[in-house]
Amino acid sequence: MYGTDPSLQSVTYGLAPGPIAEEQIDVQSEEMLVNMGPQHPSTHGVLRIVLRTDGEMVLDAVPHLGYLHRCKEKIGENLPYYQYIGYTDRLDYLSAMNNNHAWAMSVEKLAGIEVPIRAEFIRVMAVELNRIASHLVSFGTVGMDVGAFAPFLYALREREYVLDLFEQLCGARLTLSYINVGGVTWDLPPRFSEKLTEFLDYFEPKIDEYNDLLSFNHIFIKRTANVGVVSRELAIAYALSGPMIRGSGIPLDLRRTRPYSVYDRLEFDVCVGRGERGTLGDCWDRYWVKMQEMKQCIRILRQCIAQMPAGPFRAKLPRVMKVPPGEVYEQFENPRGHLGFFIESQGGPIPYRVKIRGPSFVNLAVTPILCRNVLLADVPAIIGSIDIVMGEVDR
Amino acid sequence: MATARGYFQNIYDNLRSVAIGMKITLKYCFQKTVTVQYPEQKLTFAPRYRGIHEFEANKCIACDLCAKACPVDCIYIDKSGPRRIDKQTGTVNPADPKNGDLLRFAIDYSKCLFCALCTEPCPTDCIHMGKLHDLSSYSREDVVVEFTELDKKNQRTPIPLWMERNAAKIPWVKEEYERVKSGTLATTAADIPEYT
Repeated sequence: MYGTDPSLQSVTYGLAPGPIAEEQIDVQSEEMLVNMGPQHPSTHGVLRIVLRTDGEMVLDAVPHLGYLHRCKEKIGENLPYYQYIGYTDRLDYLSAMNNNHAWAMSVEKLAGIEVPIRAEFIRVMAVELNRIASHLVSFGTVGMDVGAFAPFLYALREREYVLDLFEQLCGARLTLSYINVGGVTWDLPPRFSEKLTEFLDYFEPKIDEYNDLLSFNHIFIKRTANVGVVSRELAIAYALSGPMIRGSGIPLDLRRTRPYSVYDRLEFDVCVGRGERGTLGDCWDRYWVKMQEMKQCIRILRQCIAQMPAGPFRAKLPRVMKVPPGEVYEQFENPRGHLGFFIESQGGPIPYRVKIRGPSFVNLAVTPILCRNVLLADVPAIIGSIDIVMGEVDR
Repeated sequence: MATARGYFQNIYDNLRSVAIGMKITLKYCFQKTVTVQYPEQKLTFAPRYRGIHEFEANKCIACDLCAKACPVDCIYIDKSGPRRIDKQTGTVNPADPKNGDLLRFAIDYSKCLFCALCTEPCPTDCIHMGKLHDLSSYSREDVVVEFTELDKKNQRTPIPLWMERNAAKIPWVKEEYERVKSGTLATTAADIPEYT
């Protein structure tokens, strides 16, 4: 792998040989390299983490990526703007709507397209609905990573209702391709607002049920509180975003700090961690931010239903869209953090360069810091709370 | 060092959490199940459901717009000459010598994204997203569906393997099987969303 260069022979899986923290370890034993993944149930996809362990202690952890690389950025340079929507679905496949929204808004900014106000409200509605679905999966998998299987089933039961709503909205359940450049593909189906209200009324009390089931469960708190602490400084230094940085007590939410779309017309709170059950910025705080955000999503959705204006759902665009030369970089608040699209256009129907800033990829970078001198059983809890989606990490 | 009081507090907290959890679980023991026993029970799909395409060959003018709109280039169209819609019948008249033949209309489902971008530009509304979603086959060649060949058998969409096998056993599958065989579309005019 490293050729015949003797200086490279000693390189073992990218792990730096470091001194062992003596005070952390009671009994000195032999160090061992453990491959966690790429096919491991708690690594959330094909992530491989090489752990340097000493007994139960993990001294070092290095994530190895690239098992799901699909050349998303290169594909973007070969497709017309509106056709790339299908590919953005598969970035962070749990929040396809948010990815569609981010891509569509970036292209609209580049091309200077005005979107009808009804389309904006439908978009925000769809995006927040997807945020609920995404946080539900996250809630379920965090539970599953620390050994609680039942909450996952509860989470997927409610997610199924959201997917049914998506099916009525756009015909697909996971790879939605609903929000496109210039608006949304179809108008709201008949009686959609009633169905959505019905779901929200059903879903709101369920969050308290989840809290009883998992959030305030003593065993769960013991497993997640004071584990994987991200301090404010570390969060800023590693450019973390989404629930990761809000869990550390920094109220950074692009929907509020730099409102895009119609978020400036909607009322919602930015949820931050407070270190209620342990240290500020531990796994439980990050988890709790997501649980609170679901309630805020419900608030936003109710306002969207109330404020939904009439009018066209799509701007009139020529079939072959010409985009003027220029470049744009926009960031959007995804369930997992800031999704950024850099697009450079040299005129013509296809972009010259597409660069994606995936929030999971950036958040994953902090894993080696968090997984230093922790117990082996805490590693799944930490990775679960970082909440990565490998489709976005590898792109 | 944990105190004795802390030790028993810990045990109490654990047991209490378990009791709260079990209460919720038990509550659902006596409620209706939310799972559907597919394929014995029928699944209902939304009107806009994006399944395997339904293609009406007699309406297709082979204009290639769907193939151009496809992000993955999975639609293959071949024609012998230009085709024109007869205004009275709304279909292409094959007896008219001016009209060419639609030699091939195939979709490679190993590539298809089911994004429905192909149905949007169609000037004659001859391609729709159907309601079948589970097409399996034994070879890669079978994944490429030749819709012109299916049209000769008066089918608008392929028949999945499971449907052929279970048609005799399950009533709703038999109904669906007969619908596909007779060439009736699952997509009605009301199901097709309006585009601007």
